[in-house]
Amino acid sequence: MLSRVADSLYWMSRYMERTDSILRMLKINYASSQDNQDEFSWRPVLRIFGSLEENEISKLDENSRSVLQYMVLDRENQNSVYNMVTLARENARGVQDNITVELWKCLNEFYHIVRGDRLIYAIQHGDPITVLDTLIKECTLYFGVTDITMFRGEGLCFMRVGKYMERAIQSAEILDIKLSDLSYDLDKPTDTAYWKYLLMSISGYSLYLKRYQSGFEARNIIDQVLFNVDFPRSVLYSLNQLHRYFERLRSDKNIEGFSKVQFSIGKLRSKVQYSNVQSVSNIGLHHYLNEITTDIDDIGSSLNQYYFAYS
Amino acid sequence: MKATELFQKYPLIGNTWDEMYDEEKVRLHYQNVYDSLSSIPPDELGKKEELAKSLFMSQGITFTVYSSGEGIEKIFPFDIIPRIITAAEWDFIDRGIKQRLTALNLFLKDVYHQQFILKDGIVPIDLIYSCPHYLREMQGVNVPHDIYVHIAGIDLIRDHDGTFYVLEDNLRTPSGVSYMIENREITKRIFPDLIPQNHVRPVTQYPNILYKNLLALSPGQVSAPNVVLLTPGIYNSAYFEHTTLARLMGIELVEGRDLVVENQKVYMKTTSGLQQVDVIYRRVDDEYLDPLVFNPESVLGVSGIMSAYRKGNVAIVNAIGNGVADDKAIYVYVPDMIRYYLNEEPLLKNVPTYQLSKMDEREHVLKNITKMVVKKTNGSGGYGMLMGHSATDREINDYQLEILKDPRQFIAQPVISLSNAPCYVNGKAQPRRIDLRPFALCGPGGIEIVPGGLTRVALKEGSLVVNSSQGGGSKDTWVLAQ
Repeated sequence: MLSRVADSLYWMSRYMERTDSILRMLKINYASSQDNQDEFSWRPVLRIFGSLEENEISKLDENSRSVLQYMVLDRENQNSVYNMVTLARENARGVQDNITVELWKCLNEFYHIVRGDRLIYAIQHGDPITVLDTLIKECTLYFGVTDITMFRGEGLCFMRVGKYMERAIQSAEILDIKLSDLSYDLDKPTDTAYWKYLLMSISGYSLYLKRYQSGFEARNIIDQVLFNVDFPRSVLYSLNQLHRYFERLRSDKNIEGFSKVQFSIGKLRSKVQYSNVQSVSNIGLHHYLNEITTDIDDIGSSLNQYYFAYS
Repeated sequence: MKATELFQKYPLIGNTWDEMYDEEKVRLHYQNVYDSLSSIPPDELGKKEELAKSLFMSQGITFTVYSSGEGIEKIFPFDIIPRIITAAEWDFIDRGIKQRLTALNLFLKDVYHQQFILKDGIVPIDLIYSCPHYLREMQGVNVPHDIYVHIAGIDLIRDHDGTFYVLEDNLRTPSGVSYMIENREITKRIFPDLIPQNHVRPVTQYPNILYKNLLALSPGQVSAPNVVLLTPGIYNSAYFEHTTLARLMGIELVEGRDLVVENQKVYMKTTSGLQQVDVIYRRVDDEYLDPLVFNPESVLGVSGIMSAYRKGNVAIVNAIGNGVADDKAIYVYVPDMIRYYLNEEPLLKNVPTYQLSKMDEREHVLKNITKMVVKKTNGSGGYGMLMGHSATDREINDYQLEILKDPRQFIAQPVISLSNAPCYVNGKAQPRRIDLRPFALCGPGGIEIVPGGLTRVALKEGSLVVNSSQGGGSKDTWVLAQ
């Protein structure tokens, strides 16, 4: 496979994963903003996904509709849905001969939706949940179409590699932001809704209720988001999948690159696999989460060096 | 059948061939479509037009126009009423293009080797050396099977009596074939059953024929030659066509930056290292192909590709340097080439053409400029033309000064009116001017022309310019089986 093509598929997939995760997170945060105005703040969301200065955040902070507008449509915001879908589609456009027609059509139509006047109007005047739901549906469609039409080859492996790297980063970052609100003090008493919305925004609420059954407790939340291998958005699950799909790229023709990247993935995966809530609290949660995202970024650089470099 | 609302008040333009009407009568081969369309309420046709647009849009059959840093997707306007060519007309076109292309290929081989035709004084030698597309770098280079033009998009027009004329020979990187294929797909969607009812010959085999020809050009003893399509990239207005062709042929779509030349061999950069490339169907113009040999500023090409080509390590399609054969001043001599190389009379006529480098012809043209179309010999896309009958005095004056600076770079032709075909405009059928670009594929086994082509339409009322850059659109082009 052409290096450029692998690169584009990888990024297309990362942008779509990020779009999906941001949309879900926006939906739940919006719902909670309607619930509990006093305790709710958009600040954490804007800090992870936006590129605004603190004073600009303060201006937006309490106006849900403006936040949605900024997060969905703003062209200056690198992580706006508008920009990410445009980038995903731009990457897809350059590799149309390596994805199925169905997948291309799906992304192309999504692109026309995020650029359409109808969306602008809906964000300004419509019911935000309905709007976000339509967009989430487009993402779901993308994942479904990928799953049922894409050939099981190298291209799909690079897409999955990108997807799970992105997902691990997202989960680690969302957790880190929430914990920073508590100044990483796991015994600090918090409102139940606080954790509930965190879990809902990564679709982990029902699993939590079944698994931990003990009300909301910071340590259990951390356990689920980092270590639960049955939870599709946990960091460990994502790293397991990353490992699995990268293994399929093993080839006699790029032994050096493969073993370098495989080593970094294996090392990170082991680090998470053989940690627990106790040990990471001892190291320092922020430090630990930060290390995970840095390690993933390094894996990205190695992929770039050994697989994608073409100029 | 009486004229229905759709075709009511369809004006017949004098002294012009109408594809559908023979005087007041509908031509036999249009009758079926005429009846079918007449039975559809006009506003229903409007919906079909909308459907066609949204199909083009959602499938991404678009080109991007960049303004203020933002890309806007545009579709190439599509007229829903098909253009119909009879089996007899097609048979003539088919033979005419094959004859012409055979001669043009022989001409290119000759010009870049022994130059008999120049020595025999059939084509003036100074015309060759003054042509910017004649490339010395190609002199003496042997190309596989002596084929230079693998893909030709020869433009045909019809004069007032229906005679076909060749307007220009596009022998470099002709585009538009994806619209031949996609327009047909759209017609299938908007007019169910109409195509089988009319016994229209299919066009879907085009990519298979092209792929077969490309494989046959592979220079090495390789069991599975690596064929790629080289595109200038996503900013090119024909990018959609490049991806479509690559996808339909199952070959890799590459950009210049994906390729590298080592040891006079071309490789592509893959996730498992370098992989040799055997055949390149390039959609990058000659001058951008190799910055070491041609335009050094080019970032679209591949450094050293020319050396690999000359060495015979890679086949390039179309061959480099073909521009010398579709230069509009050399066009004048194509009928003579046919006589010279094939000893046959040309089937397809040339439009009468004046060479402005010849003093008497130039004077004649300047005297009668309002009846002339003046063109640059190496222009394309409908740019840099002077339409004498509609130009202002000032435009004519300015243009004359341009001509006198370098007369070799200009030719003039009397205004040819182009045939009319009915188009769906504002709820009514209206006559609009059209041309025809069939796509001929030339491989070691001979020349094949897929029955169909790109019919371009001048959508502006009264306009004679069909180029997409000048507000032109296209139609599905039917060749009937019987």
